[in-house]
Amino acid sequence: MHKDKDAALVNECLSGDRRAMSQLVSQYQRPVFNAAYRILGNMDDAADATQTVFLKVFEHIADYDQKHKFFSWVYRIAINESLNQVKKRRSQEPLDDGQASPWQGPAEALDTKRLCNRVQAALMLLNDDYRTVVVLKHISGCSYQQIGEILQLPEKTVKSRLYSARQLLKKKLQNEEAENKGADRHE
Amino acid sequence: MNEQNHKTRAPVDQRILQLLNSSVDGEINVVDQEELDHFLATSQSVRDLNDELRAVTRVLDELPEIAPPKYLQDTIERQVRLPAQSKGAGEKPGYLGNWLSANWLRTGFALAAGVVLTVGVYEMGSGPIPAGDRSSMSGTIASNGGLLQQGELLDRIFLESEVLIGQVELRTTKDLFTIDVQLESDGPSEVVINFAGRGLEFDSADSQQGTVDAVSVVDGSIHLASNGEQHYVLNLRRVPGANYPESLELEFFANSQLIQQNELSTLQ
Repeated sequence: MHKDKDAALVNECLSGDRRAMSQLVSQYQRPVFNAAYRILGNMDDAADATQTVFLKVFEHIADYDQKHKFFSWVYRIAINESLNQVKKRRSQEPLDDGQASPWQGPAEALDTKRLCNRVQAALMLLNDDYRTVVVLKHISGCSYQQIGEILQLPEKTVKSRLYSARQLLKKKLQNEEAENKGADRHE
Repeated sequence: MNEQNHKTRAPVDQRILQLLNSSVDGEINVVDQEELDHFLATSQSVRDLNDELRAVTRVLDELPEIAPPKYLQDTIERQVRLPAQSKGAGEKPGYLGNWLSANWLRTGFALAAGVVLTVGVYEMGSGPIPAGDRSSMSGTIASNGGLLQQGELLDRIFLESEVLIGQVELRTTKDLFTIDVQLESDGPSEVVINFAGRGLEFDSADSQQGTVDAVSVVDGSIHLASNGEQHYVLNLRRVPGANYPESLELEFFANSQLIQQNELSTLQ
């Protein structure tokens, strides 16, 4: 998120400099891919979304308003593209897991991969608005202000959505934990 | 609030929730932090809520970063056309640029693809197939647009020589391996895909773009002769009971010269 450097690279892209384009792709493909993955919950879909995001970015780069941060613009396109794909492909795979929830038991006993799958599965159960703010905050590391810029929402709304999203996420994980415990007792 | 009186959690008001969330997110000012510290010092409910909130945020923050597929950057860069380049007078859109739209439309095409035409002669386009090859071929060939690449992407290779550029993708669904070949050559080119001894059999082929002069399957190798811009999809099917293959070998020829050799990994 280097505003001046990004602005210079954008200008070079506008002059047709493919090395500048390559640098911007290199800089942002990973965060865009990760945000897309956490929203879509699928690697192939995230890769497709990431490709489309950058093609749109460079197709419309002449329209980019340099008063705004480049990363905010890229993220906005990434979020919109990811959500478009979610709407198109509502097929979410429930992730099978029977491990303890994150706040129960020693951390070292947890199977990290399964835990991540459970959290990802819980994320996928949130509605798009909630999932988006959680991803921008916790995956992309954006501040309230940056999330507001990306989603074009007042900071107050960002905070409110984030609080609610985390509450829901906590409940979903706790409910799952209770179900697992119940299943264990019946075995 | 006296924590001794809170064996069950007392309701926590919105102000405290706001302070807790701002604190967890590192976006709290000094005055608000002092206010929150007071609540934390005097209320077990607030402390419990704080612990739970921090547990959730910790789990989210610790979700691992996922590495994008290795091919992604290269694929993006190949497809991007910068505005200054697009303004070039009479500039040809470019084969790989065109592939983008195919990629976008992949899902739609896959849904639309209904009927695979089975024909007895394994020929695409106008060129003849060597007579000696015909006896050894088996499988089906679809009309243009009948088959499209689907399934999990296993591997991808790129060609970037002066006379031959393009990419080959390998995907799999169930017992089928789909090889998506997109090439642009300045002259006659040939791709040889060796699947001998890998527990695979030729299933079908389809030309998506341009014409393929000849497809032949000989002794566990598919030979595709072409010229110019090409896009074709080949399917190999696992022989029931055979071991899972590890790779396919590919050779690319242009103007009868070997340009590149690659392996496509079939491992998931």
